[in-house]
Amino acid sequence: MAAGMTHKRSILFFWALILVPALVMSGAAYRLLSHEQDRISRSAQEALMERAAAISETIHMTVDTVKDNLVRSLMAIDPGTLTPTLQDWEKTNPLVRNVFIFEPTETLLYPEKGMAATPEQQQFIARFDALFSGRMTFDHLGGPGGPEPPRGMAAGSTAANASQGDARRQLVTLSRADRSPAARVGAQAHMEMEKAADSPEQGFSSGWLPWFSENRLHVLVWVQSSATSRVYGLEVELVTLLSRLVVDFPALEDAGSAIVLTDGSGSVIHQSGQIEVSPESRPLSQKAVSSLLPHWNMEIFVDEDRPGGTRGFFYLSMILVGIFMAAILSGGILLTRMTLKNMKDARQKTSFVSSVSHELKTPLTSIRMSAELLLSGRVSDEKKKARYLSVMVSESERLTRLINNVLDFGKLEQGRKRYRLESVVVDRFLTQLIEAHRVRITAQGLRIVTQIESEDFTIRTDRDALEQVVLNLMDNVLKYAGTGEYIEFVLARKAQTVVLTICDDGPGIPKDLQEKVFDKFFRTDSSLTATQPGSGLGLSISRRILRDLGGDLHLEPGKKTGCCFTARIIDHDTDNDSGG
Amino acid sequence: MAHGMQNKAKGVLTIAGLLFLVLVSGMLQTVAASPKVICTVDTDRAVLPAGESQNVVLKVTLDAPPVPAGTRRPKVNLALVLDQSGSMNGTKMAQAKAAAVEALTRLSRQDVFSVVVYDTNVHTIVPAQSAGYVDRIIRIIENIQAGGNTALFGGVSQGAAEIRKHLENDFIHRIVLLSDGLANVGPRMPEDLGRLGAALLKENISVTTVGVGTDYNEDLMARLAQNSDGNTYFVESGVDLPRIFAAELGDVLNVVATQVNVTITLPDDVTLVEIIGREGRIMGQRIELFMNQLYGGQEKYALVEVRLPAAGEGDQLKIAQAEVHYQDPFNNQPEVSRGTSHVSFSHDPVQVKQSANRDVVREYQLNLKALAQEKAIDLSDEGRQPEAVMTLKDSADKLKQVGRLYGDSELLKEAEAVEAQADQIEEKGMSKKSRKVLRTQSYQQKNQQVSQ
Repeated sequence: MAAGMTHKRSILFFWALILVPALVMSGAAYRLLSHEQDRISRSAQEALMERAAAISETIHMTVDTVKDNLVRSLMAIDPGTLTPTLQDWEKTNPLVRNVFIFEPTETLLYPEKGMAATPEQQQFIARFDALFSGRMTFDHLGGPGGPEPPRGMAAGSTAANASQGDARRQLVTLSRADRSPAARVGAQAHMEMEKAADSPEQGFSSGWLPWFSENRLHVLVWVQSSATSRVYGLEVELVTLLSRLVVDFPALEDAGSAIVLTDGSGSVIHQSGQIEVSPESRPLSQKAVSSLLPHWNMEIFVDEDRPGGTRGFFYLSMILVGIFMAAILSGGILLTRMTLKNMKDARQKTSFVSSVSHELKTPLTSIRMSAELLLSGRVSDEKKKARYLSVMVSESERLTRLINNVLDFGKLEQGRKRYRLESVVVDRFLTQLIEAHRVRITAQGLRIVTQIESEDFTIRTDRDALEQVVLNLMDNVLKYAGTGEYIEFVLARKAQTVVLTICDDGPGIPKDLQEKVFDKFFRTDSSLTATQPGSGLGLSISRRILRDLGGDLHLEPGKKTGCCFTARIIDHDTDNDSGG
Repeated sequence: MAHGMQNKAKGVLTIAGLLFLVLVSGMLQTVAASPKVICTVDTDRAVLPAGESQNVVLKVTLDAPPVPAGTRRPKVNLALVLDQSGSMNGTKMAQAKAAAVEALTRLSRQDVFSVVVYDTNVHTIVPAQSAGYVDRIIRIIENIQAGGNTALFGGVSQGAAEIRKHLENDFIHRIVLLSDGLANVGPRMPEDLGRLGAALLKENISVTTVGVGTDYNEDLMARLAQNSDGNTYFVESGVDLPRIFAAELGDVLNVVATQVNVTITLPDDVTLVEIIGREGRIMGQRIELFMNQLYGGQEKYALVEVRLPAAGEGDQLKIAQAEVHYQDPFNNQPEVSRGTSHVSFSHDPVQVKQSANRDVVREYQLNLKALAQEKAIDLSDEGRQPEAVMTLKDSADKLKQVGRLYGDSELLKEAEAVEAQADQIEEKGMSKKSRKVLRTQSYQQKNQQVSQ
């Protein structure tokens, strides 16, 4: 028991040695990896934010340039051709949704209210009714988005021009009054610089007026001449503006993130990146796009849990750490199992040596005592002499069997046992064997029952090996079923197999141990085995021999009590594959 | 052509116009044999009851001549904008690909072709390039995979950007949009897409919309097509797609006039009541209509209802003059064509009845039917289904009545179809499919779309 305790303690210690460092290591790996992941995610998010900010900046600059160009173009219109020029813009310029001319002291000069207006114009008048009815002035908005002289913007807008994509460049071109190809090709930057220098805008006030109607953004660009106080301008077609802006939106390669442009009501205007953005999803960051387009936001969404998303590095690394841990643990389990098995084997070998020594000693003692008695010359009775001699012979035979078993065991273990096949008439062989051991059996008080079918039992097999098997089985019965009444030998033939069953009516073997009796060194743990000497080798060797010869050995419960060993012996007459 | 004895200025104008016509047609005969678009202005009756103020329906017809044999057709700049959202997966996607290939193979080396696909994002998979690179383009088309949301606005915008790469050149510009679902990324109101269509029309880009299945937004698709003067189609299953694309390409390859501006001028004493079925700009006594393209052999028209002052027996009155300015795509020259309408007045009801112009009456009735279909949709949307059914039934009755009066079998057939629609809606309610059929038919009628 004390030895068991130390074993358990050493295994526990062993496990502690493996588990503690492994756990510490995986914990440290987890911490390090999450840190690293956070750093990666943060830098990815920052890159994304910078990107979004750059897009916002470009949009703002483009819209700003559009605004300046529209204002300048409006100011540059000859007052004499104001109405036809504006009408032409409305008809041909995609960036112009509506145009208007408004006399603050009188009324709206164009579009005319009533029948002549198209449905679009009627909606326009209704939308901006607060302005056109004089309830609100055009420059009611201060600060950004309100009237703002476009001076000093020229440099900025040329810079914007240089970095613009095709669509934005076209947009800026649209916002100029003169859209004829000649003017477009030639004097782009030049025109802006010149206009800024010319300053026709002196004597004008102007503005970019974001206007919310039915929760939707509309933008009015207006100019007012201080000379006539007449206000005129146009409503920007935001759909065109947007349609051009979204085309230059950069595509996001990363599957786990999205840059999204949203309007005042939070609905998505445009999206770059594959995440599904629902109204419930919360953006990682949100920033206004431009003061010129109030409530339009640039939002960033990151899907952290997506496999290909930003946490991919972390998951991948954790999988690797997991594999590493699994390898350590399974290695530990394997080592523990091997250690336990070795310990068990060592214990069994110790008990084997002591029981074999004991078994060797018993017949030796008998032989020695008989020999000493004979040598002393005090035994004169011939009958007694003969008995002592026969004891010496039978004990020597027992000794031989035991030594054969031990030798065979060694050979079988190393796979060196060789079989010699010869023709054996099994029924005769069995009868002779029973006759040879009849005395031993009957001395135990057992009745011999034989049941041999009348068939031809001539087969090719190893006679000595077979004899060893039968003797082992017989010894087993004599050792453990000596309390019973009979030993039964049943011989039958099924095609190439001879089946020999040896049954007894002894105490039998518990069901859960029925397979274990074939393990080497195994002896059932009971009062019976404790009183009987034994190596625990006989059954193990028998099964090995039969299996080597192509057959098998099984244990079944007996009819009432006891048990039956069934040996299947293969005829190697037609089967060329001889065992060994 | 009879000349009315109106005021001198107008007479002079008319004569000048005629002289111009003769001159131009003379020039054409010598320069090129390309026939012109013929503009005629008809009224529903040539003789009107005398002595009362009354409404008259004017039909301004543009008769596009067939493409003359042996002429090089104008170059086409076509952008296909395909929905590759998840719902397109399977047969629809396969048929859409087949349709795209069908469209491509009908083009030739001189044409420009591009393909934009959209799901949650927008990708230009075939940037604008010569349609001659057939193998390369087909390989790209075959690789399209379905999945994701529907960024329809972005898709059309990107398609327009591809078209714009060749906007300066003398192409027939056309975007063909295919969608089977509701736009859920970007602007998605029919009104917004309608405005996008109107903006694109200002650049002479037309958008043809093809709705597949019963889950797309037909209002959006019809508005986009209507405002950009494209065609619109409704196909219930993907199987019809290649046929539709072929028909659409047939139209596009057959363009005989572009940038068509129609100006209808009314004399001072004639007042406009309404423009039927089309949107136009009204500038005092002038009505302006714009159509992007006319297809060879096709007849397009505008219907206008006007109110005439009372006139006496035997009087003749010029009630409208139409002027069509357009670009001839074969030689890129501006062209003009004119037509005038005159009516006379009589007290004899038989003469009035006999003067009826069946063609004008029929088209007028068919357009009223289209408007009734739209009204039925609106009523049904408001949950007033019985009224929607009533509107359709009334329209059918009216068609029947007029059809019988003039023995017009087409109107009678149409009456039956409308009645069947009404019955179906009465029985099963306004199904997604019925709504799409009504919306699409109504638009196709108003736009005189030939291929369906």
